[in-house]
Amino acid sequence: MDQQALKELLYKMADDQLIMGHRNSEWTGFGPLLEEDIAFSSMAQDKIGHSLAMYTMLQELGEQDPDTVAFTRNADQFHNCQLTELPNGEYDFSLIRHFLFDTAEALRFEMLTRSTYEPLAQIASKIRGELRYHTMHAQTWIKQLGSATEESISRLQKSLEYALPYALGIFEPSPFEEQLVADKIFEGEAALEKKWKAKVEELIGQTQLHLPSWESLTPISGGRRGKHTAHLQPLLDEMSEVFKIDPTAEW
Amino acid sequence: MTLFAAMNSLDPRVNRLPTDKVANSSPKAALDQFGTFEVFVQAKEGKPFQHEGIVHAPNLEMAYVLAKEAFTRRFTCVSIYVADTRSIHVSVMTEGTVNAYESIDDPGSSGPRVSYEIYHLLKRGKQHVHVGTVEAGSPDEAMWKAKQLLAGEKQVFNIWVIRTEDIRFTTTDDKDLWLTLPEKKFRDASDYKGGDKLKAFLESVNK
Repeated sequence: MDQQALKELLYKMADDQLIMGHRNSEWTGFGPLLEEDIAFSSMAQDKIGHSLAMYTMLQELGEQDPDTVAFTRNADQFHNCQLTELPNGEYDFSLIRHFLFDTAEALRFEMLTRSTYEPLAQIASKIRGELRYHTMHAQTWIKQLGSATEESISRLQKSLEYALPYALGIFEPSPFEEQLVADKIFEGEAALEKKWKAKVEELIGQTQLHLPSWESLTPISGGRRGKHTAHLQPLLDEMSEVFKIDPTAEW
Repeated sequence: MTLFAAMNSLDPRVNRLPTDKVANSSPKAALDQFGTFEVFVQAKEGKPFQHEGIVHAPNLEMAYVLAKEAFTRRFTCVSIYVADTRSIHVSVMTEGTVNAYESIDDPGSSGPRVSYEIYHLLKRGKQHVHVGTVEAGSPDEAMWKAKQLLAGEKQVFNIWVIRTEDIRFTTTDDKDLWLTLPEKKFRDASDYKGGDKLKAFLESVNK
């Protein structure tokens, strides 16, 4: 098994989860209703927990400890897709992003339960329940607001059209796709993208939202290679602000 | 009545006190938030469901989704369910040694029989706990049936009845929701041992 290929896979997944978790946590205290604030914050915390599990796996493969990896890298050393770093904007965008991202995340980890890399397969099984909740939460909101009022439908539609090209960036192929597939570590981004598109079509089809044709969309990629929007570095600066006051502090 | 009228406070409780405006009737303001749903949690397989609280939501399905995180975020459970607050039928609330079942009379049979869930409040200040299911033609008849079949020995302060059909249960498929990472101590304040660290710090300073 190729360690470099495995590490690349783990890093991009961990970075997605950390950045998505941090972004979503910015809603804490500002959610549209108390119950939703609690649910959204709790899921954000789950994401950070997932990234910790991935970084811990990387540490076992010889990488630095999770805190160092999470708090001391610069934007160009992160491998998250750009979708996760975009600012929260209004709640409609955050919900659409949550829906598009977690639909992919749940399918990805469902595939990874069959990974030949045993520690990854185990974690994938363990976080199944949390991801099931994340998708249930996202889908219930999208179904609700995607068919509710003229305003809710048009807001979600606008956000959907804005987010889709970034969402396609989730599946930017890694230089190690063939190896990962051959070693049965991961079935590959192309296979995941196919499943994701089918699921998104099915779920958007249950609302009054309109899904643009896939051919009309140009994926916005680069995140997996460390190419990011101007929004990531300020997020990292804020996230690591306290850590950097005293990196040796014991928490 | 005019006592509070001129009172201008930042405390919302003060501003909600009755003012002389009450004398001139005005329509009750529309609800500025979603309606409420009652949440019931089953802590362990085989244990009865217990009422835990309410959530605000636009509908039953959203209530289920929000209830899951609001009530089972830190403490694991095996199942939850929710029902619209308006679907809960309540008996009188009793005091002292009066049993709530004493006021329940036979209302006679009415309508087709369906299943109803019955809950008892055995101690004031505690939660309503599920005690069983009865078949009845109305909520009133369900209370009467419960009096025959489920009243038991203990004093009941309050009875709740919910038509089974009005409940959004956890499906077998939903059970996965509570399969989570076991290592979630970072979510609990107790894991940070703030007191120990403060003590160690003070000792190091006072040396």
